[in-house]
Amino acid sequence: MPARHEAGKARGVQGCKARHLAAALLVCCVLVSPAAAHAEPAKAAREAFVTNQTGDSLSIVDLAAQTSAPAITIGGKPAGVAVSPDGAFAYLTSPESKELVVFDIAARRIASRFAVGQGPLGIAVHPAGDRVFVADWYEHKLYAVDPAKGRILGSVEVGKSPSGVAVTADGARIVTADRDSNEISLIDAATFARTGHVTVGERPFGVTVDRAGKRAYTANVGSDDVSVVDLATGKVAGTVKVGRRPYAVALAAGKGFVTDQYGGTVTVFDLETLTVIKTIEVGEYPEGIEADPTGEAVYVACWEANTLERIDTATLEVTARIPVGDGPRAFGQFLR
Amino acid sequence: MLRLFASTLALVCLLPFAATAHGPSRQKVTESVEINAPADKVWAVVGNFQDMGWHPAFKKTEGKGGNDVGATRVLTLEGGGQIFEKLTKYNAEGKTLSYEITEVDVKLVPVTNYSAHLTVTPDGDKSKVEWKSAFYRGYVNNDPPPELSDEAAVKAITGVFQSGLAALKKKLEGG
Repeated sequence: MPARHEAGKARGVQGCKARHLAAALLVCCVLVSPAAAHAEPAKAAREAFVTNQTGDSLSIVDLAAQTSAPAITIGGKPAGVAVSPDGAFAYLTSPESKELVVFDIAARRIASRFAVGQGPLGIAVHPAGDRVFVADWYEHKLYAVDPAKGRILGSVEVGKSPSGVAVTADGARIVTADRDSNEISLIDAATFARTGHVTVGERPFGVTVDRAGKRAYTANVGSDDVSVVDLATGKVAGTVKVGRRPYAVALAAGKGFVTDQYGGTVTVFDLETLTVIKTIEVGEYPEGIEADPTGEAVYVACWEANTLERIDTATLEVTARIPVGDGPRAFGQFLR
Repeated sequence: MLRLFASTLALVCLLPFAATAHGPSRQKVTESVEINAPADKVWAVVGNFQDMGWHPAFKKTEGKGGNDVGATRVLTLEGGGQIFEKLTKYNAEGKTLSYEITEVDVKLVPVTNYSAHLTVTPDGDKSKVEWKSAFYRGYVNNDPPPELSDEAAVKAITGVFQSGLAALKKKLEGG
């Protein structure tokens, strides 16, 4: 989940220390203004690439038309997904066949597939687009893979059963949620060395980093909460109690959106105050979740309901329920 | 003594999670049946969390908490062995309930992390009963033995659902 950043909100002020508020504000304004003045408005995502694990397939969803084409067979029970920064490929993990599957988006077919580890699940692409990171559930490693050549570039030991993977927008740092050791690992992307780890709640599964690369949010399946980690200090800045068995987090419009698998809900919380705003009923077993680049919507894959659902981030209502294949997980960054 | 008890309790509390640490592929089974009986009558049977007597696989239901969320029950199988379950959602108006298995020997039912929903939908004078479940196989690591594979888990739950729904239909249409 490299680009699971908070969408649709100016950033930069957050994290400035009160003690140097005036100076900091000035610096922040200087930093933010040029970007704000020249940045083009983010375009809405056009398509979603939803891995249907039970159906062993990929559903491609037209987000404007709110329809999905007949699912395409993938093999190996796909779960993880990461779309390349240029939108040309969807990289999928197939845990059953222990493969990375490269899906050519323009051609609408599998371009290549190759073996990676013993339990590939979580996946993210480096912003440069040349490397894909795959977390191995059973080998407790993170692999770096060249998807063009199908070659493993290296691996690094992380905590036990790494699941979610995120990369900071500047491409400097990789974060893994190490489910069975209750921590996140911090990995230097340049040296591919583990530089630190932070203890979070119980059984962190999905992890999302904000656009500024300041905070990481883990969905903790065991303790039914979200840990907010300050990446600069390596400390937990806060904890948000959410619904049962949270799976992953999306950031949009100043809010966090958390899929509660057992609750059949999405818990929404304020990113500044870390207080819960609303609990939204969605299809049963919501899992993968990602924010639209505009920040106006988040999309949620509901595993048991077999839907991809759209939540309006202003009204906090479900505005569409789009049927997809059987058992959608969409664990990762699935929009383009 | 108290400390020993506390540490034992802590260990026991950890066990279910250790047992439910799972690999990547969750399984699902959905079965449904049309019953020639009004939904209220069907719900009066399946909506009672404290009596699983309509299912031929279970000899006895013992529990507490009625139909309140958090209620528990212990199902004793005809062939021996017990399944411990907890009610997690209950909606009498919508005629739907959800529950989870909190403890079971995988030799008895080869699943872990099991949850299920039962829903009765009216269709005129008839009803549709849908039973949906989500679970992982009995073997938590890679490359499971055949008796604890995904296939074995799906087969076991499909069998439980089909035999139960068939018996339910017979009971309600017969009486």
